[in-house]
Amino acid sequence: MSLRLAGLVLLALSTPVVGWAASGTLNADTLGGARLNVPRCTSAGLTVIQNLTAGTISSITVGGIPSACGSATLQATVNNGTTTGSGTAAVPAGGGAVTVSLGLAPAVTTGELTDIVFVGP
Amino acid sequence: MTGRRWGVAIVAITLLTALMASSGSAASLSLTSQTLTPYRTCTISATPATTTSVIDATVRQASPTSNFGSLTSLTVASASAANQRSYLKFGLEACSPAIPSTATVRLATLRLYMTAIPAACRTIDLFRVGSSWSESGITWNSQPFGTAINNPASGSRTGTFNVGTPSGCQNQAAGYVVGGTVTSDVAAFVAGTSTNFGWMARDDVEGSSTVRTTTLSSEELASVGQVPQLVVTYVTVP
Repeated sequence: MSLRLAGLVLLALSTPVVGWAASGTLNADTLGGARLNVPRCTSAGLTVIQNLTAGTISSITVGGIPSACGSATLQATVNNGTTTGSGTAAVPAGGGAVTVSLGLAPAVTTGELTDIVFVGP
Repeated sequence: MTGRRWGVAIVAITLLTALMASSGSAASLSLTSQTLTPYRTCTISATPATTTSVIDATVRQASPTSNFGSLTSLTVASASAANQRSYLKFGLEACSPAIPSTATVRLATLRLYMTAIPAACRTIDLFRVGSSWSESGITWNSQPFGTAINNPASGSRTGTFNVGTPSGCQNQAAGYVVGGTVTSDVAAFVAGTSTNFGWMARDDVEGSSTVRTTTLSSEELASVGQVPQLVVTYVTVP
C-alpha cells in the first residue's frame, strides 16, 4: 500500500515536467528556454552611400568597416517600396569600404531602406 | 492487479516520463552559429521637390522679414549684419517600415551637397532645433533660435564640418560634404525623448568682416544627385 502511495506521489511530481515540454516555443533566435547569441563582427556605425545612375540606385558603398569584418561577404538589399535591388560583394581583408552593385536599380524616392548583412568572416 | 504490481507499474511510468523529459532538454542540444552582422539603413532624400517629408529654408539677417524657403539653394554665410543660416528637417516617417523606437541608432549623417565654397576654411555647426517652423514661413526674425548672432553657442552644437578651398580643409570641392554627424539627435527622435524639428546650420563665427559664403543645394533644386539627405543606420537587436 505504501509502495502504491509512493508511486502516485512520483507520478504527480513528474506530470508538470511533461507539461513544460509541451509548451516549449521555437522562435527565430530562441529555442525553448535557451537563447543563442549570434556572433557579430562589429557594432560600429557604418556609412551607407547610394551611388546613382540616371536617378536610380545602381550600387551602394558601405564604409567604415572594421578589420574584424574583413573577408566577410556583404549582402545588400535596397528597397524603395516598389523595387528591390540586391547584390553581394567581398569585404577586403583589412575592412574599409566596399561597393555592392545591385541587380535591379531602385529609383531614388523620399525614403529607401537598405539591409546589409555581413556573413562571416 | 495487486498493490505491489500497481506500484511497480507506476514507478516504471515515472521513470519513462523522466527519460522522455530529459531526452528533449536543451542541455543535450549543441548549437553553433556563423557570424552574422545585420544593419538597416534608412536614407531620406529631399525628393521629389514637392515632398513634405523634407523641408529646408535659408534665413537672412539682411532681409529679416523675408522668407526664402522656395529657393533652389541653401546658404550659410558669415558677414557683418548679413549672416545667413539654413534650416532643414527630415521626417522620419519617410522610413517604411518605421524605425522601431527600441532600435539602436549606430550612425546618422546629414549629407549636404556643396556648390559654392568659401575661399577661407570655415566651420559650419549643426544645432538641433527646439521648436516648430515652416518652410514657407520662417524668416530671420521668426527663426527658432532668435536673431542674436553666434547664438546658440558653438559648444551646444550637435555636429560640425568645415568647408573651404585652402589645403587641409575637410571639404574643398563641390559635392556632398563629409561630416555632419547627428547620431545622438536622431537616436533621441527615434526613442521619442525629443521632438524632431530638424537642424539649423550656421557659421561657427558669425559676423565676419569679410563675407564668407557656403552654398548648398536645396530640396527645390529637384536634382536627385544633389538633394539633402539624412542617412540613418541602425540595428534592432544590439
